[in-house]
Amino acid sequence: MRIRALWVLLASAIPGLLFAPVFGLRPLLLPIAVVLVACYAAVELCIRVKVLQAWRPLITAVLGLVALTFVLFGAPSVSGVVAGLTESWQLTLQSTWPVRPDAELMVFVPILVLLAAVLGLELLRWPALALLPSIAVLVLSQTFVALSGTTAVLAALGFAVVAAGLYMPVRPGLILVPTVVLGLVGAAVAALIDTGEPYSLRQSDSALVPLPRTISPLSEVGARLAKPETPVFSYTSSGPVDRWRLVVLTEFNGVTWEPANEYRRFGSQLDSPVSAPATRYSAKIQAPDGQWLPSQAMPASVTGTAPLVDPSTGALLLPERRGAVSYELNWWEPQAGDNLQDAALTSTGQPGGLGVIPPGIAELATRATAGMRPSFRTALVLEQYLRQNYNTATGGDLPTGSGWPQLRRFLLETKRGTSEQFAASYVALARIVGIPARLAVGYRAPRTPVGADTVVHNRDVYVWPEVSVAGVGWVPLDPMGGASGAGPAPSRLAQVTAKARAELPPTNQLPDPPLPASETDDDNGGGPAVWQVALLVVLGLVALLVLAVLAVPLVKVFRTLRRKRQTGTQGVVAAWLEAKDLMRAYGTRVTPGMTARDLARATSDRSIVDSLTGLAGQLDVALWSGAGATDGAVAEAWTSVRRIRRTLAGRSWGARLRAVFVIR
Amino acid sequence: MSVSAGEVYERVAANVQRVLRGKPQVVRLAVAALLGEGHLLIEDVPGLGKTTLARCLARSVGGSWNRIQFTPDLLPGDITGVQVYHQNDEKFAFHPGGVFANIVLADEINRGTPKTQSALLEVMAERRVTVDSVRHEVPRPFLVIATQNPIEMAGTYRLPEAQLDRFLMRLQIGYPDLASEVMVILSDCAGVDPDELPAVVDIPTLQAAVAEVRAARVHTAVVEYAATIAAATRQHGDLRYGASPRGSIALVRAAQALAATYGRGYVTVDDIKEVAHPVLEHRLILTPDAELRQRRAEDIVRELLNEIPVPVNTGA
Repeated sequence: MRIRALWVLLASAIPGLLFAPVFGLRPLLLPIAVVLVACYAAVELCIRVKVLQAWRPLITAVLGLVALTFVLFGAPSVSGVVAGLTESWQLTLQSTWPVRPDAELMVFVPILVLLAAVLGLELLRWPALALLPSIAVLVLSQTFVALSGTTAVLAALGFAVVAAGLYMPVRPGLILVPTVVLGLVGAAVAALIDTGEPYSLRQSDSALVPLPRTISPLSEVGARLAKPETPVFSYTSSGPVDRWRLVVLTEFNGVTWEPANEYRRFGSQLDSPVSAPATRYSAKIQAPDGQWLPSQAMPASVTGTAPLVDPSTGALLLPERRGAVSYELNWWEPQAGDNLQDAALTSTGQPGGLGVIPPGIAELATRATAGMRPSFRTALVLEQYLRQNYNTATGGDLPTGSGWPQLRRFLLETKRGTSEQFAASYVALARIVGIPARLAVGYRAPRTPVGADTVVHNRDVYVWPEVSVAGVGWVPLDPMGGASGAGPAPSRLAQVTAKARAELPPTNQLPDPPLPASETDDDNGGGPAVWQVALLVVLGLVALLVLAVLAVPLVKVFRTLRRKRQTGTQGVVAAWLEAKDLMRAYGTRVTPGMTARDLARATSDRSIVDSLTGLAGQLDVALWSGAGATDGAVAEAWTSVRRIRRTLAGRSWGARLRAVFVIR
Repeated sequence: MSVSAGEVYERVAANVQRVLRGKPQVVRLAVAALLGEGHLLIEDVPGLGKTTLARCLARSVGGSWNRIQFTPDLLPGDITGVQVYHQNDEKFAFHPGGVFANIVLADEINRGTPKTQSALLEVMAERRVTVDSVRHEVPRPFLVIATQNPIEMAGTYRLPEAQLDRFLMRLQIGYPDLASEVMVILSDCAGVDPDELPAVVDIPTLQAAVAEVRAARVHTAVVEYAATIAAATRQHGDLRYGASPRGSIALVRAAQALAATYGRGYVTVDDIKEVAHPVLEHRLILTPDAELRQRRAEDIVRELLNEIPVPVNTGA
C-alpha cells in the first residue's frame, strides 16, 4: 500500500511540475512537496490507525490544504483556498509568464496536485484508474502551456514509469518490457509528428485583462505644452535614456488613436523579444500621478508595484492607482548592428488602421517616399521628408489634435505642428505606403548625467513614431527632429538610426532597397531539426533502458548487502528472506503463508531441501525458542543461503539470466 | 527419574506403530492429542484402522480404559452411570457408566442417538458427570477417543456441532501406500494384536508429560498467528460458521503437544500449520452455496494457510 501510494503521489506531482514554464520550477517545488508529504502522512496515519481508514480522503484533503496554505500564506487560510479554486488560474492566464510567484496566483497548482493525489489514492485498487486524476491535471497543464519535443517525451516516460510501478505488484515481470517498448514507440511518434502551434488557454479572451477607462496621454500633449515647467516625474537611471514612453497607440480610426487591448499582469520577468543581443538597464522612478507609468520599449521587470503591461509596446498601466508610486524598472536595450539602413521591415500584419483617408494624402505619401517599396530606408526617407518640408510649432498658439482633419490641415495646408501632428502624420503616411508603424507618447529625457536624479517636466512631453524592423524590433524615429540631443547620450538604437539617417543619399539618388531576407531561411535557422530531437529521444530512452535493466540486479545486490549486515535474530530472518527471494527468482511459487519448511516441500532438489530445512530449524530457534540467535547461527543461516545459491546456479543459463533480472 | 513428553511420545508411538503400520503422522497427531489432554475423533471409511488406533492408544497407557460401542439402543445412563436403589441399605448408590476411565473409546459414536451422544457433552468439556444433581469427577487424565464412519447414513446420527467442537482434533487415517499395506497384511498374519500391546506409560508419567506440554513456550506472535487463522475462518465467504475461540485455544494447545512430540519446548509457526487441518476442519460449517460448489473445509484451511503471512519479524 505504501509503495503504491508513493507511486500515485509521484504521478500527481508530475503534472504539477509541468506548470514550471508558467511559474518557474523553484517556486513550485516547495508547495508541491508539502502537499505530497501531507498526503503521505495522511496515508501513513490511516494505515496505522485502522479506524481512520474510512475517513482517509477527507483527512488527506484537509491535511494537504492546511499544510499548503500554511506554507503559502503563513497560516491556514480558507480565503486562500477559495481564491485558488476560483480566480487564481485566471489571474495566472492574465499575467505574463513566468508569473510572479505570489501565493494568490500559484495556489491552484498544488490544489490540483492535492486533488489528483486524493482521488488517485482512493482509486489505488485499480492501478489504471488511479492515474486518471493525474492525467486529467496533466491535460489541464497542457492547456496552459503545451509540452513539446524532448520534454514531452520525458514527461510521458515519467508517467509510463509510474504506471509500471503501480502495475508491478499486479502483473510482476510483465511490465518492464511493454513499458520500454511502448515508451520507445511513443517517443518516436512524438518526435516525428509535427503538431504545429499548440493551443493555450492564453489565447482565449479570459486571458486578457479588460482595459480600464483611461485618459490617453496623447490628448494631454497640448495641455502639457501649455504648462511647460510643471514637473511630471523623476528618475535615476543606470544607463543612457533618451525617451520615456507612457503609451503606444496602434489603433487609428481616423479620429482617435487608441492603444491595443492586449494588457496583461506583469509577471516576474520578460525576456528580450528580439533576436538581437540586448543589454539590461534599470532605473528608479518616482511618479506622483497618472495611470500610465513611464516605461521603456522592452521592459524586463518591475519591482515596487504590480502594473499591467503590454508586452508588445512596453507600456505600463496601473488602473487602480491612488497617489504617488515609486518603482524600479529594468529593461532591455537591443544592441542593433551598424547596417540598420539596409534592414528589412517586419513582414507581419500591419497594426492598427487608417480610417477614411482624405483625398490627396495617399499621393503625398507616395511622393514623400519617392515610390520606393517599404523598407527601413523608406521609413527614413519619409522621416526626412517631414523634417525638411514641415515646421515645428512654437509659441502660445499650438495646434492640437491628431485626427484626419487636423492631420490633413497639417500635411496639406499649414505644414506647422507639434510632435503630436508630426508623429501621427508620419504613422498615417507610413501605413499608407505599407510601413508597419505605431505612435508612441511619452517624454524626452533631460540631458543629465547617467545616475543623476533627473526631473522630467511637461515641456519634455513628446510624441514619436516607431517602425518595426526585422530582428531589431520597434525603432523610434523623429520626424520633427525634437528628440535629438535628448538624454545624456543617445541609446544604441538612436545611434544606429542617426548613422543610417546620415548615410541616407539624396532622394534622387536612392537605390532600390534590398529585398527582405527569405522568411524560410529564418525559420530554418530556428529550433533543432526533427532528427536531432529524435536522436536525443532515442539516446534518452536507451539510457533509460540501460538504467532500468541494470537497476534490478543492482537493487538486489544492495538488498543482499543490507541483509547481511543484520545480526542476531534479524540476521537469521534476513537469511531466510534472501533464500525466499532466491527461490522466487528461480520460479518457485512463494506465498505469504509459506515457512521455510513449506518452501522445502515445494522443491525437489535434495540439496535445497536440506538447506531450507536447516534454515527452518535455525529460524525456529531464533524466533520462537526465546534463545535468540548467536553470530554463529547467523553465519550458519547464511551458509545455508550460499548452498542454495550455489545449487540454483547449476540451473540453465536461461533460468539464471531470468533470475538476475526478474523483479522479485 | 522423570520422563519427558518427547520420550512419552516416542514410547507410545513406537508401541502403536507395532500394530498400525505406515501412518507415522497420524500416530504423531494422535499421541499429540493424548499429550494435549484433548479428545480425539478418528473419522474414516471402514477398514482403515480407526478402532485399531484407538485401541492401541488406550492399551499403551497404563491407566484404566473403557470401550463403549455406540448403538441406537444405548442410553445416556449407560455412559454416565445411574443411581440405583439398594433395598438392603435403603439408599441410592451411584453405579458409574463407561466414561469413568482414563481413556474412553467411543466406537462408532455416530450410531448413538443424539440423546446418548449428548451425554458426553459435560464430561468431555468439564471432565465430570452430573447425575441427579450430584457431581462425579472422572479420573485424570481423561481422554475420549471416538471413531465414526462418515459415509454411512442409515442408522447414524450426525454429531452436533457443540460436540464436534469439544474434540481437539479430527484425524483421518487414509488408505496406506502399497508398501505399508503389505506390512499391514504381514502383521495381520504374524503380528501383534492390539489387546496384546503392553502399557508403556503409566498415569503419573502421562500427567507429568501433559503438564510439561502445557508449559511449552508460545511466542505472542505465534499466538497472534493462530488467532488470525481462526478469525479468518469467521470472515471467510464460504463459511457459515468459523472456528470459535475454543478453536483458537485448541490450535495453540495442539501445537504445544505437537512441539513436544518433536522434542521441543517451544511452539513454532510450522506446528500451528501442521495442526491447523485436524484442529480446524471439523469446526467449520460451509455455506449451502459452498457445499453446492463442492468446496471442502480442507480447501479453505489450506487457502487460509497459504494467504495469511507467517510472522518473521518479531522484534525479538
